[in-house]
Order: sequence, then structure tokens, then C-alpha cells
Amino acid sequence: MQSSSVYTRDRCVTGIHGLDEILRGGIPYGSTVLAAGTCGSGKTTLAMEFLVRGALAGEACAHFTATEPSVKLLENIRQYAFFDMNMVDSGLINVFDMDVLYSWLGLEKASFDLDDVHALIKSIVDIVNTIGVTRLVIDSVTTLCYKIKSEQLIRDFLFTLGKKLATLGCTTILISEITSATENAHWSSFGVEEAIADGIIVMGDSERMGHLLRFLQVVKMRGTSHSRAKHAIELTPLGVMLIPMLKWGASADKTSRWGS
Amino acid sequence: MGCLSGQNQQMGVMIVFELDQMIAEQLTQVSLSSAIQVRVGANNAFGVTASTMLPLMQMFEMGGVYISASRGAVEIIQAYEAIGVDVSNIQFLDLVSSGVLGGTDVPYPNVTFIDSPIMLESILLRTLYTLRTVNTARNFVILDSLNALSIYNDERMLAEYLHTFINTFRQREVLSVLLTVPDQTPPLVLANLDTYCTDIVDRGQVVLL
Repeated sequence: MQSSSVYTRDRCVTGIHGLDEILRGGIPYGSTVLAAGTCGSGKTTLAMEFLVRGALAGEACAHFTATEPSVKLLENIRQYAFFDMNMVDSGLINVFDMDVLYSWLGLEKASFDLDDVHALIKSIVDIVNTIGVTRLVIDSVTTLCYKIKSEQLIRDFLFTLGKKLATLGCTTILISEITSATENAHWSSFGVEEAIADGIIVMGDSERMGHLLRFLQVVKMRGTSHSRAKHAIELTPLGVMLIPMLKWGASADKTSRWGS
Repeated sequence: MGCLSGQNQQMGVMIVFELDQMIAEQLTQVSLSSAIQVRVGANNAFGVTASTMLPLMQMFEMGGVYISASRGAVEIIQAYEAIGVDVSNIQFLDLVSSGVLGGTDVPYPNVTFIDSPIMLESILLRTLYTLRTVNTARNFVILDSLNALSIYNDERMLAEYLHTFINTFRQREVLSVLLTVPDQTPPLVLANLDTYCTDIVDRGQVVLL
């Protein structure tokens, strides 16, 4: 008999309690993953923990914030015991305000054209390359893409950015704000992000008798077999924790919808 | 161990009971990966629970988590204080008091609140988190009680939860102690208790001679 060997891609071990088990070892290196979720579902906390776990392993990390000023982001995340401000002070986690980046690039305008998009990609890639970033978060890609008026341009932006970051060996989480996490929902605001991303992690709330229960579900992850089950999550001071949702609970819960 | 009594000053209730030595003897036979079903009656719940928890704390030097679904954690803590037992080393997850206005304003740092007894997954996650923060090497999780959880939760969901609960802690070598008043517990949940628990302490039947 011939022995068969199964090829497996190297993984970026997220270090998030339970998530690596769901992903059968972690995110394949260099992937661009869309973390799509409704408001308050824990996207920013999950993404920040992803960076913290990387920093603890000695990796250089970067966080581009477009939804709130970096000062506010850091103040909010400091409540978690897993976060240590020294990681920022020592340069292991580098936080960038998109507004500042736009200002550097002379992109203080309502909408971006092709040249602007290319300038933005170049600046992000330059930062990743210069610092040697291996874990990147853009929070949120939805806010960023609001400035890009054409669907084709959004597609080009995400595809080119993802390709260049993958070449640099950088594993990226793009946070996507969605108004609904139901079965029939789109996992992105513009409809193109979900097609381009290598992976999609959906986060939302299930309503059970008037109470909201946070959930996380990996619906797509190229390069790895993974669980597609819905998992309950809890944002604890030690980080995000996950367990599979009760099957009888999931059948009785209503998945919350907002604005759609 | 012998007879303990005390007065719960806030509740004004005199608590007198005799520790059940048979339970302490039975506990010497269980391992950390065991799951013990403790059947109590409506009137002897505190005595049986204390007779189970005190040997675990004092003889086996265990710590852990007490999930209170039947009464608020403060009431339970004060009942132990009334009989001179310090439970400050036990972490309480209170599923009751969030439903009472002002119920979460308590002077005990070892009490955490969960919004509702229907958040079963949150209870499990919060327990797992709490176990990561305790400094005792050997731990238990006391679930007080399945009949209280059955007030709010569907029978099938609770039966599934029980299965998950026991296996989660067995895998982590945390002793599960599951309290229930049998005649107030759905049949499917009782059947699952019989199937998945490794040991039983049955004090749920009162025999009148």
C-alpha cells in the first residue's frame, strides 16, 4: 500500500480560546479574513485580541482604525486584562488613525478615485513592509470603503491589498459592519468584500426570550477544513471565549436584525 | 464534623442541621472527573448541599464555582456565614439577582451576575472563565439547581445542556455537582442525570415512618 500524505498550510495561530479549534489550527498564513458583525457583537475585541496574541508571540502587529480615534480605541480595550499598553509603547502593536493617514496622503476628500486608492494601498503596504507586520487589522473596511464610490474600485482595492499583504506573509482581519447576521444576509456592506476575502467570520446576536446572546460562526476559510457551527461567545477580561451553541437553543432563538 | 447551627441575621432565619457524614464518606470514592447527582428535597436542600460542599472544601482542599439559580448568591453566602463557614474562596455565579431591581448591589467580591438563567451558554462560558482565575489546584462546579433552571428553559435544551456541562468539566478534570429536586425536574433531565452522572447522593426522598 502507498502511504498518503495530506498537505496542510501553515497556520497563523490566533491564540483566541476556542477559535483555533474551530479553524483546525488557525488561519492559513497570509489570508485576508472578513470579520463581519452587527454592532456590539465583539468584532473589535476579537480583532484586538488577535493582535495581542501575536504580539505576545513576538510578532509585529498593526491596527488601522477608521471608526473611532485610536485614543478612544485604546481606552476601551484597556479594560481587558489580556491587553497590555506596553505592547503599544514598545511598538509590537502599532495603531494608526486612518484620518491621520488620509491627511499624510492628501486624501482629505469625500470620495476616492483610482489614484487615491492606489496611494492608500501603497501606504498601507509600505507600513506593513517597513515594520515587518505579520498581523493586520483594518477596523473597519466598511467605513473605509464608503469613500470609494464604485463597486469595481472597491473590488480592485480589496483584491490588490489582499494580494500584496499575502505576498508579505501578513494575515489580515478586515472588520465589516453589517446590520443583520441572519442566514440570508450579506456578510459585507458592499457585497464584494465577501467574495474576495479568503475567510469570513460572522458575529452577531441571537435573541432568546428578550436576552441577546453573542455568537460567532466561521462560514468560509480557504485552505482549511473548519467547523461551520454557530458558537456562543463571551468577552471576558482574559479574552474571547467560545463554546458551541446548544442545538435546541439555536432552533428556538431569533437572530437579531437591525435596520434591514 | 457534626451538628452546625447559626442564625442568618439578614434573613432572620435560624439554620440548624446536622452534617451528613455518609456524604463525606461517599465523596472519598469520587475522582475529579466525576459528576455527582445530588437529589435533595424541598426542605433539606441547604443541609445536603453543605454536607457535600464542606468536605470538598475542608477535607479535599478544593475551591471552585457555585452556580446559584435557585436563590441569590448573597442569601447562600450568608447562610454559610451563619454557621461559621467562610466561602470567600468560592466564586459564585448568581443567575437570580439580575432579575431583581437593586439585586446586584452586593458587598461580596466573589459574586458575579449573569443576566438570566436562560443564558445557558453564557453560564458555561463564565464558569470556564472563572475557573481560569481561581488559585486552587482542584476545583468543583456546583450547579444549584437543575429544577430551578427548568423553570426557564425548555426540557430538551436543558437535557442537552446537562450533557454538554458534564462533559465539559469532565474533560477538564473539574468535579461536577448537580443539585436537583427530583419531583420538580423534567423527566428527560432526570433521565440524563442518571445516564451521565457517575455518582449519586440521594437525599430527595423523605420517608415518614
